[in-house]
Amino acid sequence: MLLRCRIPLAHFELDIDVSFNARVTAIFGPSGSGKTTLLDTIAGLREITEGEIEINGHTLFSSARGIHQAPRRRDIGYVPQEGALFPHLSVQKNILFGAERNQYIGPSKGITVDHVLKTLEIDKLLGRPVTELSGGEAQRVALARAILSAPQLLLLDEPLAALDVALKERILPYLARVRDEFGIPMIYVTHNLTEVLTLADWVLMIRQGKLVAQGIPQEALRSVQTIAQLDDERYENVFTAALVDSDAPAGRSRIRLSSGTELFIPYLSQPDNRSFQIRVSADDILLATQRPIGISAGNVLKGMIKKIEMADGDAILTVLAGEDFLVRITAAAVTRLGLAENTPVFLVIKTRSFHML
Amino acid sequence: MIFSLETWQITIFSLAVGMASTIVILPFGVALAWLFARKEWPFKSVVETIVLLPLVMPPVSTGLILLKIFGRRGPLGAWLYERGVEIVFNWKGVLIAMSVMSFPLLVRSVRTSFAEVSLRLEQIAATLGASPLKIFFVVTLPLAYKGIVAGALLAFSRALGEFGATILLAGNIPGRTQTLSLAIFNFVQTGKDAEAFTLLGITVFLAFTFVWFSEWLLRAGKKA
Repeated sequence: MLLRCRIPLAHFELDIDVSFNARVTAIFGPSGSGKTTLLDTIAGLREITEGEIEINGHTLFSSARGIHQAPRRRDIGYVPQEGALFPHLSVQKNILFGAERNQYIGPSKGITVDHVLKTLEIDKLLGRPVTELSGGEAQRVALARAILSAPQLLLLDEPLAALDVALKERILPYLARVRDEFGIPMIYVTHNLTEVLTLADWVLMIRQGKLVAQGIPQEALRSVQTIAQLDDERYENVFTAALVDSDAPAGRSRIRLSSGTELFIPYLSQPDNRSFQIRVSADDILLATQRPIGISAGNVLKGMIKKIEMADGDAILTVLAGEDFLVRITAAAVTRLGLAENTPVFLVIKTRSFHML
Repeated sequence: MIFSLETWQITIFSLAVGMASTIVILPFGVALAWLFARKEWPFKSVVETIVLLPLVMPPVSTGLILLKIFGRRGPLGAWLYERGVEIVFNWKGVLIAMSVMSFPLLVRSVRTSFAEVSLRLEQIAATLGASPLKIFFVVTLPLAYKGIVAGALLAFSRALGEFGATILLAGNIPGRTQTLSLAIFNFVQTGKDAEAFTLLGITVFLAFTFVWFSEWLLRAGKKA
């Protein structure tokens, strides 16, 4: 996909020139950085004077060549932040609103009404008026509606932003399922790092209308410039792990990371042989220059400081302890402990600081 | 209460022509209201002002303009007369006076209800492949219909109360162009107070019913 546009906004100019090709591309940036405008532009809902948009070799918009395809001919499914379900239609009518297009294209891609309903678990909601849906249900219905219009691209605008934390964790797997089941490329707008790390294969980071970084999420999000620019976000370490054993009375489970490092995390009730992802915030890791004794934290890892980057009174350290861990401490702590690159240190992480994705 | 034949005749004539005028202006009013609410076009504000004029101009002035246009020697009247259609001093004059006078009320009310339909819903419908016609009939119109019905009721009530423009364009001819308002004026002038009060009762009753129903619809529309 090729996306080039210049759009004057109230306080800055959205100026993007990027080409990418991934299953799920996250557009990541703080609120008010122009993310929704970008989606509207791709969908053709916003008039722009200068730019070029191309998907799968088809030009949707080109100011130079005078091409402007109407939104309804772009075959782009759009799930806006608020869901935008038609309040006067039932769930069923909402879902089938765009299904005409699907009759010709959908079945060959495995997009059938049954399959979508089952994947998103909304078959029981069909007869309900949309005004009686919960936030999570409404989001899934909006998603189903967009998928069933057999789009060549799905745009998701912070689909989880309006939901509370518990609900978020329930809906996230549905999005992963959509990604895996229907093979529709997605552009996913969010200001939540966990969502980027869980769902996306590629990330575009936007701030004040400009692209500040792009790449594979785990790598692109590991630079200090990145963190400094995402002031309202906390940096999360995300690891792929496999369960070793679980001990219910002790309240903890042991996991092994791909490097072989073993960690204790809160007890997992359902032993699962598949690998899964865990996260720990860079703010939740303590550093010690000597192996600490007599502490409650379940994990003490010996490591070596690879890199120290300073940003606005913060120090972001990359510590190699089997895996690279990012640790954020104050600049004062770095001075006090006399930390430098290649200093050996101990990472101290509470069992409870780990969270499942 | 048993009404005289004349009372019945006047009431039914007013209701029938009022209803006809509302039905005639409805499609135009809805279309224009949609253009006002959803589109930008040159001289839009000028057209908006012209449409609203009858609301604030003295009805008699509007009536005089209509008389000049539709009179036998008027630009439109002459053309119609050649084709055997006469507007002035018959029910068609009443219809046109009522239509012109109630049109702004309809447009204003419908325009507001269109403006209240979320643009986002229409945009999303477009991304789902819906044509502009489908968007209008499946999304916009059903979401705005309560406002449209309320606007039509308001326009109808205004039509029934129309006096100034009607008397200039259609005259006050008993049995031919006499509406409730014109008849009340006539009865008062000729000292027939009893008849005037009967008609007064009818107008109060009708007005109350329509306004109450239209407000109820608008409230129901807000809730949904």
